[in-house]
Amino acid sequence: MGESIASLNNSPESQRYQQLYDMLLEAIPSSVLFIDRDLRIVSANRNFLGKNRRTLPDTIGHRLEEVFPAIIIDQMDFPGRIRQVFEKNFRVKGERMTYRAPGIPLRIYYYSILPFSWQGVVELAMLLMDDVTEQVRLGEEVRRVERHLASVVESAQDIVLSTDLEGRILTWNTAAEKLSGFTLHAVRGHNFFDFCADDDQGEMERVFTNLQAGKDAQMAEWDLKTRDGGRIPVSWIFSPMRDHLGEAAGIVAVGRDLTERRKFEAQLLQTQKLAALGVMAGGIAHEIRNPLAVCSSAAQFIMAGDLEPQFQRECAEKIHAGILRASMIIENLLRFARPTVAPDIKEINLTTLLAETLSLATNQARIAKIELQAQLPREPIFISGMEGLLPQAFMNLLLNAIKAMPDGGELGVALGQADGEAWVSISDTGQGIAPGDLNNIFDPFYTTAPVGQGTGLGLSICYSIIKQHFGTITVESGADQGSTFTVRLPIL
Amino acid sequence: MTDPGELILIVDDEPDMCWALEHLLNKQGYVTRKALTALEALKLMERHRFACAFLDAKLPDMDGLELARRIRERAPDMRILMVSGYFYRDDLAIQEAIAQGVIIDFISKPFLQAEILRVLET
Ligand SMILES: Nc1ncnc2c1ncn2[C@@H]1O[C@H](COP(=O)(O)OP(=O)(O)OP(=O)(O)O)[C@@H](O)[C@H]1O
Ligand SMILES: [Mg+2]
Repeated sequence: MGESIASLNNSPESQRYQQLYDMLLEAIPSSVLFIDRDLRIVSANRNFLGKNRRTLPDTIGHRLEEVFPAIIIDQMDFPGRIRQVFEKNFRVKGERMTYRAPGIPLRIYYYSILPFSWQGVVELAMLLMDDVTEQVRLGEEVRRVERHLASVVESAQDIVLSTDLEGRILTWNTAAEKLSGFTLHAVRGHNFFDFCADDDQGEMERVFTNLQAGKDAQMAEWDLKTRDGGRIPVSWIFSPMRDHLGEAAGIVAVGRDLTERRKFEAQLLQTQKLAALGVMAGGIAHEIRNPLAVCSSAAQFIMAGDLEPQFQRECAEKIHAGILRASMIIENLLRFARPTVAPDIKEINLTTLLAETLSLATNQARIAKIELQAQLPREPIFISGMEGLLPQAFMNLLLNAIKAMPDGGELGVALGQADGEAWVSISDTGQGIAPGDLNNIFDPFYTTAPVGQGTGLGLSICYSIIKQHFGTITVESGADQGSTFTVRLPIL
Repeated sequence: MTDPGELILIVDDEPDMCWALEHLLNKQGYVTRKALTALEALKLMERHRFACAFLDAKLPDMDGLELARRIRERAPDMRILMVSGYFYRDDLAIQEAIAQGVIIDFISKPFLQAEILRVLET
């Protein structure tokens, strides 16, 4: 190859260069053509011949249009460009060319045309063509996969976002934009923590520290702040994004809006509460009718007239006290029955809350011939919690204890504080819980009560209420040994 | 018919209820004893012969109807009345107890004093 150049000189030195030049041409993974002023091919390397299924004889000395399809020559304007190369010593750099010729698969080339000049005169044009078909295909494939993934992420109903290891937001999908009201543009580069409710910051730090330390997926539930100042409850799964060395390179978070589920949970809570109220109805009727009967009797004494002044006064006092008692019972009942749509957290005196809940259950216990042993402290114990929820948790424990003692027994209720925690223990001398059942009792719908006498939701609701208060609930029991449930809640 | 001067037993775990019945009956000339539990009531029966008893339906240590049955065993001719806020008059348990003669009548709380007296006079 390179015949026209090679034929110029035949000295050993030039032969040496010729050999070097041939070797180079054969070795490079590009197609190389030399073209003269008349657009004739004077040299073609093996790469070109192989790619185009041509031989030297039907290539060398042929004009460009005999070797390349006309359409390419037109499209690329080879004659014009080559002329420029010759006339202006001008190089055509880095153009892309799609090479379609009959009988050969489509190829994509990256080509340049360079002038070869000798002593100021352009003698030849060198057409350098790199086959980039594979790279282009790969690139397209990558882009296609990227587009596909992006559309999966974008059309997801769940929040999908990614951050760097420090928590700075990198991506934020449409669902995240819709739910939060913040656009990707507004959040990119900001810390993800800034878009989460402040009361969850401690938990967030724990999750991110774990992820940075290379731990696997972390789950959490915390609220997302919205642009209009609201909050949306979200359940999150955080996973580390790993680089090709397996090192954590970033964090992907998938979040699901829990608003609907929370609504459903609230309904469930209310339903269970109504069921508990049904259980209490008999006891409450009795409880209210007693003071009413006392009032009524006292009033009848007064109406009959002719009373000793001291007895008359006694009657009036009984009426007054009876009315207060009846209305207190009703008030407790209403407070317990009140739906808890948006439970707000506030400072709660656990001592009074427990006493009030207890007063609702007292008569239930009395009817069942159960002796109540309450040990409540005189002083208030303050916790932060949801007034609408806690009584339900305690009431469920009390009703369970009462149910466990169908033949009477002792119901112990105690409240105290230790180590920054308030504890409430509710114990009974009832039938107890078999060791095999202990694992199940907190499961929703698990009940040993006959059909129609228990939904099996009581303890699962207790558990979720106590958990929402960052507390714990534990049980100690054995068959025929009675049971003790202990609730621990952080003190303010 | 329970005559004035006769001994009447009042059983209710609510002291104010005892107070109301005691005053009503004492004014009519009856002599009363009160008990806050079933056990106390049975103890009183060992020492006194009561003509009549007013029982609450739910006592801390025993069901009112159960107490009525025990009293009936010991004193077959004692007149037992149930006064309670727990049952309705047409409750099955009450209807049965009346039919079996365990109690002679049921009065629901709150009651008219005249009702109590009427039962005593019949
Ligand atoms: N104090 C207790 N003593 C013995 N068993 C208990 C006690 N508390 C709960 N259990 C057992 O745990 C089960 C589940 O309790 P849970 O409160 O969830 O449902 P339930 O009381 O059966 O029905 P519900 O509370 O919905 O009316 C009960 O059926 C009972 O077998
Ligand atoms: Mg329960």
